[in-house]
Amino acid sequence: MTRDDIKDLILEIIEDIDDEAEFDDLDPDKPLRDQLDLDSMDFLDIVMELRKRHKLQIPEEDYPQLATLNSCTNYLEPLLKEA
Amino acid sequence: MQANCVVIGGGLSGLAAAIRLARYNDNVLLLEKHSRVGGLNSYYYRNNRLFETGLHAITNYADKAAKHAPLNKLLRQLKISRDEIGFHQQIFSEINFPDVSLLFSNNFALLTEQINENFPKESNNFRRLVADLDQADPFASSSYRSTRAILGTYIDEPRLIDMLLCPVLYYGSSWENDIDFKQFVIMFRSLYQEGLFRPAGTIKNLLDLLVDKLNHYGGTIKLGTGVRDIISKGEKIIGVTLENGERIFCKHLVSTIGLDETKFLLGSPKESRSERRLSFVETIFQVEKGYRSRLPQDRTCIFYSRKRPFTFEQPADIVCYDSGVISLPFNFHDLDGDVDSIEVRTTQLANYRKWQLAAADADRYAALKQAHSDEAWRQVEPIIGPFSDGIMFSDCFTPLTVERYTGKHAGAIYGSPQKISDGNIGYDNLVLAGTDQGFLGIIGSMLSGISMVNRHILSKL
Repeated sequence: MTRDDIKDLILEIIEDIDDEAEFDDLDPDKPLRDQLDLDSMDFLDIVMELRKRHKLQIPEEDYPQLATLNSCTNYLEPLLKEA
Repeated sequence: MQANCVVIGGGLSGLAAAIRLARYNDNVLLLEKHSRVGGLNSYYYRNNRLFETGLHAITNYADKAAKHAPLNKLLRQLKISRDEIGFHQQIFSEINFPDVSLLFSNNFALLTEQINENFPKESNNFRRLVADLDQADPFASSSYRSTRAILGTYIDEPRLIDMLLCPVLYYGSSWENDIDFKQFVIMFRSLYQEGLFRPAGTIKNLLDLLVDKLNHYGGTIKLGTGVRDIISKGEKIIGVTLENGERIFCKHLVSTIGLDETKFLLGSPKESRSERRLSFVETIFQVEKGYRSRLPQDRTCIFYSRKRPFTFEQPADIVCYDSGVISLPFNFHDLDGDVDSIEVRTTQLANYRKWQLAAADADRYAALKQAHSDEAWRQVEPIIGPFSDGIMFSDCFTPLTVERYTGKHAGAIYGSPQKISDGNIGYDNLVLAGTDQGFLGIIGSMLSGISMVNRHILSKL
């Protein structure tokens, strides 16, 4: 997957969790949680969907690396290279 | 047999837990002892008509815009849309005490106005209380704190303390005359600040929806399947033995049947249940539809005490009529008015032991049930007006009925006075969810199932 594919994947997962999420003004370097008003339960679902769709095991201690769209992409890029 | 995750108990917390598990795991198995799901909030048929067992109203009403309200959180987690539920909000509910009544609705300002009007000296005190409740964190761990004692530091008028407590205790306290302050904070929000609603249709529609979700994610439900014991090795759960002797091995076990009930399956003696439990009797009157215009038109639930001070404790008699709840399930907004009959429901405190003693003789038990039903309408008619001439059918659920169909010891619908807020009862792969984890009501118990599974199982996968 390219970096753009990964970004699309993340946004698609978020849209699936909250169909009213607005991505137009999303700053890729600011926390997703604050910008999209996600709570910890929503956030867990992002992780769980990544696991379900791409068999990714993301340990709890790595969750902070998923904070922003860019940090997500950085973290997932090597893991999804072959996907 | 082998399952990845086993959930014991097909009530609302067990269904919610199983849906979450099945969404992200293969081979999830939900075991329900009864022939029908729902637990305390189920249904049965008499005279070709469906009767709900537990539901008066659901707390935690929230508009769509309140994204982080418990109701909306739970719908997102279970991937249920608001349209699938359908919402009928309450009209007004009433706290009816001798000489004074307070109304509340899904607009919290009404309760504040009512208190200003009826207890003008307490206006500032109540405002101060609400401001502090808004800041309180009910999920921070702390030991039991008496709500009565804390309310007494804000409010001077004992009647107002009793009145604020009455609905909260009736809708969720497993303690006599009081409630743990953490639980009060949750209940104050869910009952007064958020408010009451009914889903469209009956509880069956909601249960069918949850069962469909679980099936959609590949989970399996086994009805009529009681668990005889939980098999453990040290601090690890290996599986369960069913009442028919079959063994099911599993990696994760979620129990929603209650703290003592779970410990009993783990081998604790029954006598280890020390604390007194609060039991209730619920009575349903099916009344000719012509009586609708004679009964209150705008009261959804009436929480009453005919005596002061208000007491909430195990009664000496078989039932205590001094206080209770009257539910008028036809009084919700936008309900279809085309019905053949209406229901009046009452809830009162009951003495489990006395019902148990009476049950040794089937005729005496039946006669007592009938005598209770007659006394129940006599007691509530002064509050809502006469309807007994229109009763077509009545039935009551004693603490024994509740125990028999739900497995709740002593028929105590709000479970043990001991709550395990982290769901951990000392085993690596066993999670306690539901009433005894400490969340209350239909929304609370479902959130309990969800949050315990999220915290202890999904985030560790």
